[in-house]
Order: sequence, then C-alpha cells, then structure tokens
Amino acid sequence: MLTALASVTWRQWRRHSLRTALTIAGIAIGVAAFFAVRTANRTLLNSLSLTIEKLAGKSTLQVIAGESGFPEEVWEIVRSTPGVKIAAPVIEVIANTGFDDAANLMIVGEDTLGEQGLREFLFEESSIELNDPLVYLAQPNSIIVARTFADKHGLKEGSKLPVFTSQGRREFTVRGIFQPIGMGEVFGGQIAAMDVFSMQYVFNRGRNFDRIDLLNEPDVSVEELKARLESRLKDYTAVEVTRPAARGKGIENAVAAMSLGMTIASFIALLVGLFIIFNTFSISVSQRSKEIGVLRAIGTERGSLQRMFLIEATMMGVLGSVIGIGLGLFAARGTTAIMSGIAASIYSYVGTPEPPQFRWDYALLALGLGVTASVVAAWLPARAASRLDPVLALHNIETRQKEAVLGRPRILLGTLMVVVAILLIRFAPAKVGLTLQFAYMAMILLGLVIVLPRLAELIARALRPLADRFFGTESVLALDAMIQSPRRTSATVAALMVSLSFVFATAAYVQSYQRTVVQWMDRFLNVDIFVTTSELARTRTYHFSEELSAQIASLDAVKRIENVRFTFIPFRGDTIAMISLQMDGWFARVKDVIEGADPEEARRLVTSGQGIIVARNFVSRFGIGAGSTLRIDTPTGVLERPIVGVIEDYSSEKSVVFLDRELYKQYWHDNAVDIMDISLKPGVDANAFKVELQKTLRGEHRAFVYTNAEYKRWVLNLIDGFFVLNYLQMGIAIIVAALGIINTLIISVNERKRELGVIRAIGGLKRQIRRMVMFEAIAIAFIGVSVGALGGILSTYFLVRTAATMIGGYTIPFRFPISLVIITLPIVTIIALVAAWWPARRAVNLGVIEAIGYE
Amino acid sequence: MIELKGVSRDFGDGKIVHALSDIDLRIEKGERVAVMGPSGSGKSTMLNLICGLDEPSRGSVRIDGVDLTQLNDDDRTRLRREKIGMIFQTFNLLPTLTALENVALPLRLQGIRKNEAERRSREMLVRAGLADRVTHLPDKVSGGERQRVAIARALIFKPPVLLADEPTGNLDSHTGEEILTLLDDLHRELNTTVVLVTHNKEAAAHCDRILRLRDGRIVGQEQVEAA
Repeated sequence: MLTALASVTWRQWRRHSLRTALTIAGIAIGVAAFFAVRTANRTLLNSLSLTIEKLAGKSTLQVIAGESGFPEEVWEIVRSTPGVKIAAPVIEVIANTGFDDAANLMIVGEDTLGEQGLREFLFEESSIELNDPLVYLAQPNSIIVARTFADKHGLKEGSKLPVFTSQGRREFTVRGIFQPIGMGEVFGGQIAAMDVFSMQYVFNRGRNFDRIDLLNEPDVSVEELKARLESRLKDYTAVEVTRPAARGKGIENAVAAMSLGMTIASFIALLVGLFIIFNTFSISVSQRSKEIGVLRAIGTERGSLQRMFLIEATMMGVLGSVIGIGLGLFAARGTTAIMSGIAASIYSYVGTPEPPQFRWDYALLALGLGVTASVVAAWLPARAASRLDPVLALHNIETRQKEAVLGRPRILLGTLMVVVAILLIRFAPAKVGLTLQFAYMAMILLGLVIVLPRLAELIARALRPLADRFFGTESVLALDAMIQSPRRTSATVAALMVSLSFVFATAAYVQSYQRTVVQWMDRFLNVDIFVTTSELARTRTYHFSEELSAQIASLDAVKRIENVRFTFIPFRGDTIAMISLQMDGWFARVKDVIEGADPEEARRLVTSGQGIIVARNFVSRFGIGAGSTLRIDTPTGVLERPIVGVIEDYSSEKSVVFLDRELYKQYWHDNAVDIMDISLKPGVDANAFKVELQKTLRGEHRAFVYTNAEYKRWVLNLIDGFFVLNYLQMGIAIIVAALGIINTLIISVNERKRELGVIRAIGGLKRQIRRMVMFEAIAIAFIGVSVGALGGILSTYFLVRTAATMIGGYTIPFRFPISLVIITLPIVTIIALVAAWWPARRAVNLGVIEAIGYE
Repeated sequence: MIELKGVSRDFGDGKIVHALSDIDLRIEKGERVAVMGPSGSGKSTMLNLICGLDEPSRGSVRIDGVDLTQLNDDDRTRLRREKIGMIFQTFNLLPTLTALENVALPLRLQGIRKNEAERRSREMLVRAGLADRVTHLPDKVSGGERQRVAIARALIFKPPVLLADEPTGNLDSHTGEEILTLLDDLHRELNTTVVLVTHNKEAAAHCDRILRLRDGRIVGQEQVEAA
C-alpha cells in the first residue's frame, strides 16, 4: 500500500516543486539556526576554557578570589605550603594601546624575577626569543609581546609600545617576542607579558594579585595539595583553590545569560520552521482533497493515508535537517564571532579563536529535532487528511459541513488553563525555579490557543453585521468563510497571537523597565559628570587610580568627586555586584531613598563603615533585608555588617550591595577606581567642563567622559540594545503573519473554488473577488492583533511579576503599551494585504468553468 | 435576441477537440429552447459561450445585438449580472448564506443597498413558494427548495435571458415537475428567453423548441407541440 502511495507522493513533490522546496527550506533554516547556536556556544566555551588552559600553562592548581584579587600575603602562605613546587603570582589586564587603531592588548603579569624554572614553566611552550634576559629583568618598563601582535604593529626588540595604564600613558620597551603557540595564541595573539610587580604599580593593583598558578611536587598529589592549601587559607574566605579546568564552569555561568538568549532565538527560528511546515502541509491536504477523496474511494485506509503524509513529512524533515546542519556549520563561524565579541566586550572574557568543530552529537540532535518538528507539524494536517469524508471531497458545496467548533470541554479546559496560570503567577512561591515559572506563561498561551477557534469565530460573528453595513457583501462572504472554517483561520491567528504576545509583552516590559530606570537615574545618578574606564562604563581588569581622581578633584570647577569601585564578588555560590563609594557624598545628594530604616541613622552607620545598604533585588534574591546581618567573604577574611537600609536600584541584575569605600579598601586592599562621579560648582557649564577635561586627559589616559544627560542616554541605549530581541520578535511576527496569511488564504481560495466560481458566474467582478480575499486577510489581522493583545497583557503580567523578579530581582510596575497595539494593527493589516496579493490573484484568475465543475 | 454565428470552440494544444463546430443559431425573445444531446455533444460549452463564461474560437455570440466577443471580462460579467440569469444542476448556492441572502446576492453585487435587496428578494422567495424558508441555510432545506432558491436568485433582477443547466437533474420526478412548473410561471410573467440544457424529455416538453446536438454540431431542431 505504502509503496503505491509513494508514487503519489513523488508526483506531488515534482508537481509542486516550489512548495516542496519552501517546506524543506523552512526546516533547514530552523535546524541551521539551532545547530549554529549550539555549535557556536560550545566553540565559545571551548575557546574561553582554552584561554584559561593556555594561560595556566603547566599549572595543576590555581588560587583565585573574584575580580578584585587578593593580597600578597596569600601568595606568601601558598608558596610556603609543603608540596608546592612553583607558585607564580599573576595579574591579567586588557589594556588599550596608544597605536592609531587603539588595539586591545591582553597583558599578563608574571613573576619574571622569580626562579629560572618559573620562566620556563611559564613560557616553555611559547619559546620566547629573548636576546638579553638581564635587561628584561632589570628594566621595569620591559615587555614581551606575541609574534602575531609584533608583526601586526611592526614591533621588534627595542621598539616602543605605548599603553594606557592606570598611571596614564606609558611607553614600554619590547625586549622579546614569544611564538604564536601556547600562551602566544590567546586573544588572537594580542597578548604580552611583563613583570607582575611592575604591573601592580602601573595598573593600580596595590599589593594584590589576580591569581596564583601552582605546580605540585611530584610526590604530592593535586588533591592532597588542594586540601592543604584550603586548610591554610581558611581565614581568607573569599579565596578559592581550584583546578584550571574547573574555572571554565564559572565562565560558563557568567556568559549563561547570553547563551540562553541565543538559544531562545534559535528555538524561535525552529518554531517558525515548524509553522511553515504546518502551513504547507495544510495547503497540500487542501489542494489534494479531491485526490484524497479518490484514494479513499478506491480503498485506501485512513491509517495508510495518514502514514503517507507523515512519511512525506519525515522525508522532508531528514532532507531539510541535513541541509540545515550544513548551513548551520557554515553559520557557526559568524555566530561564534558575534558571541565572542559580546563575551569580550561585556564580560571581559577573551577566547582563543578556534574554528567551530563538527560534533556528531549536535548533528544527531539537530537531525532529531528537525525530523520531529516536521512530523509534529504535519501530524494535524495528516490527521485531517485521513478524516476527510470522501463524499464531501468529491462532491458539491452545499453539503460541506461546517467544522465542528471545539466542544465545551475543550473551551473549559483552555479557559481553566489560563485562569490557573494567572493564579499561579500571582500566588505561587518563587522558589519553584525559573523553568517552572516559564511553564506558567506557556500554559497561558496554550490555553488561549485551545480556545482560539471559538474566540475567532465569535469575533468574526460580531464583526459580520458591521462589515455588512460598511463594507458590503464581499466582507460578509469573507467573514462567513472564517466562521465556516474556524480551525483553518485559527492556525494562522494562533501563530500571530503567540508572536504578537511576545512582541507586546517584551515591549511592555522594556518600556516599563526604561521608565523605572529613568526614575531611578533621576534620583540616584544626579551628578554632573561621569568619567568611566570604557564605553561600557566599567571593565573587569582596567581601572583608574586615586591619583588621577585627586588630580581631577583639584580642578577649580569641581565641587566634589566620588570614586566608585564597581566589582563582582562571590556570594553564596553565585555572584553579586558590590559598589563602594564615598557614602557621605552619596547621602548628601541622594535624598529619601532608604527603605526600612531611619535615614539619619543609616547615614551615620554607613559612612562610618558600620553598616551596609542593599538593593531591593538583593532582598528578593537572597531573602536578607534591613535588620539582618550580612556576611561576605573577602580576600582578607569575613566581613560582617548589619544591613541598615534597602534602596530601589537597577545597577545590576545580579543584585547590589553598597558600602563605604574606606570599608571596601580595608577588606579588599583595593583602591582601584572604575567610575568617577563629579559634582560641579554652581554656575559651571557641564558641557564646557567635559570638553576641558577631555583635553586634559587625551593622550594620557583612556577615559570616557559623559555629562549627566549623555550618561543617562547611554544607559537607555544600552537597555535598548539588550532588548534588541524585541525587534527580532517583531521581525519573526511579520514573517509568521505574512506566511500564515498567504497559506491560510490559499487554502481558503482552494476550498471555496466552487463558491468563488459561482459568484463570478452570477456577476461577481474580479475586483469583488479580490476584495473578498483582501477582506479575509484584514479580518485575520484584526483578530490576530486583538487576541495577541490579550495574550500580550497576560504575558506582560507574567514578565513584570515573575521573570523580572526571578532574573534580576526587580519589581517592575505593570504598564501595557496600548499605543503599540494601536500602531501594530495598521502594520499587520498592511502586511496582511501584501500577503493576500498572491492568493487574491489566484482567486481572481480561477477558471470559472472548472471551478463550477461543469463536465 | 440570442444569436450565434459561425461559432466554433476548440480545446487542446496537440490533439484538438472540436467541442462546437460552426454553430448558427438564433433564439427569439421570450422563446424557450431545450438543448439536448449525449454527453460530450457540446451542450454545456454552448451555454458557457452564451453567458460569456467562455469565448468562441471562431464566430460571434450576440445578446440583444451586443457581440460578447468584443467585450472584456468585466463587461461580460456585468452582462451576466444584469441580463443573464443562471441555474445549475447542482444548485450552487453559497452554503454560508441564508436563502434570503443567496437570492439578494446578485443585487448586492450590483451595489444595491442591503435593505432594498432583501425586500425584493423576500418578494421573490414568496413568489417561489419559500416564504417560510427565508432564513434557512441551504443545508437545512430540501433539494427542490434549493433549486427554488436558485431560480429566485437567477430571476431576482428580471433578466431577459435565463440559462438553465439540467435544473431537474438532481431532483426526483415529482419535484422536478414542480420546478419546471415554477419556471413556466415565471417565464410567463417575465417573458424571459430560456435556454434549457437537459437529458429529460419531460423537461424538454416545457419548451417551445428542441435543439439536438451531436459531436459539437446541430443535428436537428423541432418545434414542440403545445399540450
């Protein structure tokens, strides 16, 4: 039976080769996106891990303590521990050079004054060409660069290498070159090395190191040494002893948000592919209804017919997936580059570039997903095909039965799902986890999809009298077609609803978040000038010095300068942001923001280092608020202080702890400055001061100067950038709308061929037929936007209530962008009309005689 | 009133099929002509040419002196809307419209306002004996009633020409006779020119003249004796 049906399938594919190609392309694109992102994710993580490995060299253990590092005394303890053969202190900075291209350079500080074996330990694989080691060791401005970087900038021994340091612009002298292997490959070869103690000074590390690379004695195992070190360092609670490979996991967590975002985008592409398949198979079933009727009439069982379509879908799925995997591997290169760029610029994690590797497990997963998506998407149309009444398929229109609209049980089920999901969002505890929380939103959308055919029918019925009054009989016939076949229309409306729900909800969230952030900035970021270390406000490795700050503070126009250190520290197995600044200055300009405490008492305690303030999202995330004692592991021991107040803050989704700068310096031995908040004297023009300050700093310091307005604009632009996903969603919604409407209308025209023929026969003009099809498109758009708005309201409720709290600990007020819905309606309508052009053309060009079915 | 001169209609690219060959025919105003012949004789093709749904390969088709071959698609469509009523064997009512809406459809397509169109349609349905079926959908009425609705739709705008393709083909003999009687009554009222394609001798007997077709040619004509 199936062999016989295979020839039917093959003929269909050949006859409708364009449709077949489109279906395969839909699967291919979805699979390609998924495979590319997955491969790129793994390639990025591998490259980041490879960086760690290459920088770690031969070391078997490492000692780390968060971004700010740890004091030298930790190194003393480590290297005096029995079983430690080599303990090399390291500092890493990504600095800007003074070359015209302002190239970034990763500078690794190593203890080159240490034992001979240490240098071999550090550079053996890279094979330094070092003509005069003594000069290198003796001169504090010595630097060794990788061959790749040297060649690119024409550097050789004795060349000057200008670098912006925390002490200003410095010229280093190239004393040696190392090969582009091992450490020399990191960061695309843009790497250099210098003495670690020199680096402490020029990059304002005080007496701190970033990490220690260790080699164990042969007779002491790595695990045993690890245990010994942890015991000896137990008072330095922020210090961690780890294998180099294990650090990759931490970086994986750090870039997890980006990876998740890209993975979600790839799933959206797969969903679009799934929708294309569903639509195409629906058209296929519709266009082949006569053929199906004949097959059934001559003895094909329902099951065989359904299997025929599912096998078609499987074959298309396999073909599309194989093509998609190939495309995905090609696209992975570009995707990896994008993700590496984000990792470097936002997270300051640099990778060692590697080409994406083909992985069979990813390929098989992608193949499985592609085939499964094809079969799932084709299942309903295949089922519809098998259930087609052969008599109806072969005969006249009056006996075509109206589709049985969903029965009451399903409508009740769908409604119940929506109501239960809303109640869960409102009342369920947050502890259940993000995955389960997202399941609530999925439940809302699924519930709406279930009731959608009935909803679409009701809206079409409600529109009918209005349409008749204002748009004439063509509009009535168009709405009747939708009422007659709610399932056909509701597939496209459902896809529109889901995609528009995401658009509206994300836009609502973004707008609400932006409004909230603007209010926050007006209250808290109320200084005149901001000076930052990078275009992204802060970097993980490069900082200003207090000397620079003092130099700026001495300018006439400056009333006050607050040195801000913005860093991330480990806390309870996660990471939190810590902002330390001169809190007396902060309290002087920020009023009435402390919750849960007497402001004067809070001011007294915080400015004297006896108390700490936390952001509200810290309270949401960790359940510790005003009145509790906060215990933080620092490089020099445990810091315990009472939380004396809570503020509404949006500096970091990781949640924030605020403390006085002196207290921070006391425990972290770190006087680096990330941002300088400058308040000017009354009457001083901020723009003019900015220009003057830039002139002063230019050529000497790499600094970014913003006025208050510019800084706020930059923050809002950053939010816009992060939410570029919304534009992606809008683009997907447009594609979905266009494709869905084209397909739905083609099916509609096909199913109503005879009806359209009759209308033409009794005097319907071509343009009246065209208007019918166009009006059906407009009705789909209207219903789609309406139910999309409903879905959007519910999704927004979820986002502001649950996602914001779960992801960033934020509480965002609920505001739904009605104006966006109003703007979207004409946009979707225009898209619908454009999408309807081709189906309308088909309807208009129907052969009337064939359509009526004269023999 | 209806005039075919030298009309031929060929189909196909390779092997040509001559559906109609050199047809010369004149039907006077108010005349009722039955067209009979075996399957494939060209009956439906002739009907399609007369109503402008198809164009002849050669020759001319005139309705009240207007040559259809000189008209564009829109003009031929308007002609059908204003001058030619059509009845089909399979009724071809729109399933989502009530009887009233189906009958009103040609008027609505002409741009006549809804209230006026429905008023006139209601009158026509009463005339067709369907006063109590006005709000029914096609699948809620019998075959005979559907054909009555179709007849009402075809005659709502009082066309000078009525084309009927096997109007009783899907009906039992009793119902079919009722339909033919209705057609007779309306013909008398409106003096419509009728072209009736049929296999049924009883249906042909309601006409003034019988035209016989075979292999695309007229092979015979005879007047029907009045009963």
